Amino acid sequence: MPEPILEVEGLRVAYGRVQAVRNVSFSVPEGGLVALVGANGAGKSSVLAAVSGLVKPAAGRVRFDGDDVTRKPAHRRIGAGLVLVPEGRQILGTLTVAENLLLGAHRRRREAAPESEMYDLFPVLAERRALPAGSLSGGEQQMLAIARAMIARPRVVLLDEPSMGLAPKMVDEVFAVIEKIRASGVTVVLVEQNARRALRAADTGHVLETGEIAHSGPASELLQDPRVVKAYLGVE
Amino acid sequence: MLQQLANGVFAGSIYALFAIGFTLVFGVLRHLNLAHPAVFTAGAFVGIEVAARTAIPVWILFPVVALFGALAGVLVERIAFRPLRGRDDEHFAGLISSVALGGVVIALLQARYGTEPKSFATDYFPSRLFEFAGIRVTSTQLVTLALALVLMLGLAWLVSATPLGRSMRAVAENPTAAKVLGVNVGRVTAGTYALSSALGTVAGALLALNLGQAGRDLGASIELVGFAVIILGGLGSLWGAMAAGVVLGVAEAMTIHLFDSTWKSMVAFALLFAVLVIRPRGLFGHVKVREV
Repeated sequence: MPEPILEVEGLRVAYGRVQAVRNVSFSVPEGGLVALVGANGAGKSSVLAAVSGLVKPAAGRVRFDGDDVTRKPAHRRIGAGLVLVPEGRQILGTLTVAENLLLGAHRRRREAAPESEMYDLFPVLAERRALPAGSLSGGEQQMLAIARAMIARPRVVLLDEPSMGLAPKMVDEVFAVIEKIRASGVTVVLVEQNARRALRAADTGHVLETGEIAHSGPASELLQDPRVVKAYLGVE
Repeated sequence: MLQQLANGVFAGSIYALFAIGFTLVFGVLRHLNLAHPAVFTAGAFVGIEVAARTAIPVWILFPVVALFGALAGVLVERIAFRPLRGRDDEHFAGLISSVALGGVVIALLQARYGTEPKSFATDYFPSRLFEFAGIRVTSTQLVTLALALVLMLGLAWLVSATPLGRSMRAVAENPTAAKVLGVNVGRVTAGTYALSSALGTVAGALLALNLGQAGRDLGASIELVGFAVIILGGLGSLWGAMAAGVVLGVAEAMTIHLFDSTWKSMVAFALLFAVLVIRPRGLFGHVKVREV
């Protein structure tokens, strides 16, 4: 078993009086693909927000590559290689595709045209590089959001609902990209409502229910677990 | 007539310089920094004091004033806006606390410089008179116009073509997305205030150089016209503030020429209302900072 690159311990996230995440712990081995699944509002996105530094946890610790990063600001975590692809893509619609990519490449500003390698990976972005990112289709925007994270050369990518709102064909493409990222050695944490797809791609899965981890295990076992099947997978 | 037009352009370039600093902060951060007129006034006094103490030439004086302004801007953000970050009424509360900070700045200026206006030494930048095609301009006016043009074009370039500008446009559109991408939002915020106040203090020192002196009401005298320029240009629009500054400057000069100076404010503000009836979002209301 390789050393965990990311460890979450006793994480609690609260928005005012509402507790979105309660005592969540899990670890992610280097090179692994861990899926967090669960219903809408189960706290999956709040876990990623706390891990990436967008919200301050009320309690708990986040360790990345051996360092406690719980109090580190978001931009420093990105600098260390812990990068989020946020829910709803959050692309900057008035900036061009190329400018969106360059923002992601903050850390590599001394390199000439760091965005060009992303165009090899995502040819559709190359064709549209000079267009405002807001003019892309939903699937293309998702590709841009992923490319914008990958350009930072992350060690761990946190993907928040990457298939949300996409046509089935685009969902296939997004999962193909996730496989590629994984094959390149980058660790992936995948949050999905599409539990079946996510668990099929993952090695390990955690099922969140009202802010707590209800079931954990190898993804292949969760796919067979009658409780998980009944609540989240349904009949195919 | 042409002479009045020229005078209007010179006055308008100072309005524009005042206004772009203010509108920049709004465009990027949605803050209405009402301490801006006080910082403008401080720029005038600091310019006069540095000129008197060191006798450095005018092209060194303005960078010194801008540096002071940049520091002042960072402080304004720290004191008046940062402590309120994350509150539900963040923007309105910031507006009020910046009014208060502006009052503190004016009081500090009064404590240091007294209540009487301060003047540049008469031989500091002796104004020479030039004549082009029947229009008389002074060397001070030429310096004003040149500096205003350089600073405005420089700002437009910075916003559209540099990494800092790209980060500013990202923060303007979506601060959360900018943060996700690793933009250091705190640093971009400080940088935006530094630029804004540097422009404001240079505008103040320029106006003082044109008038030969500065009183503590210097900012108050330009404040209303300056805000009219910002609204006329479209809040948050850099090109709009530049264009509207010149439009209002010329309108005022023409009013003085055709009627007399008592009418100038009325005509300026009537123009503001007239434009807003036709174009409620201002001349350039659709072109925001992020689209420069």
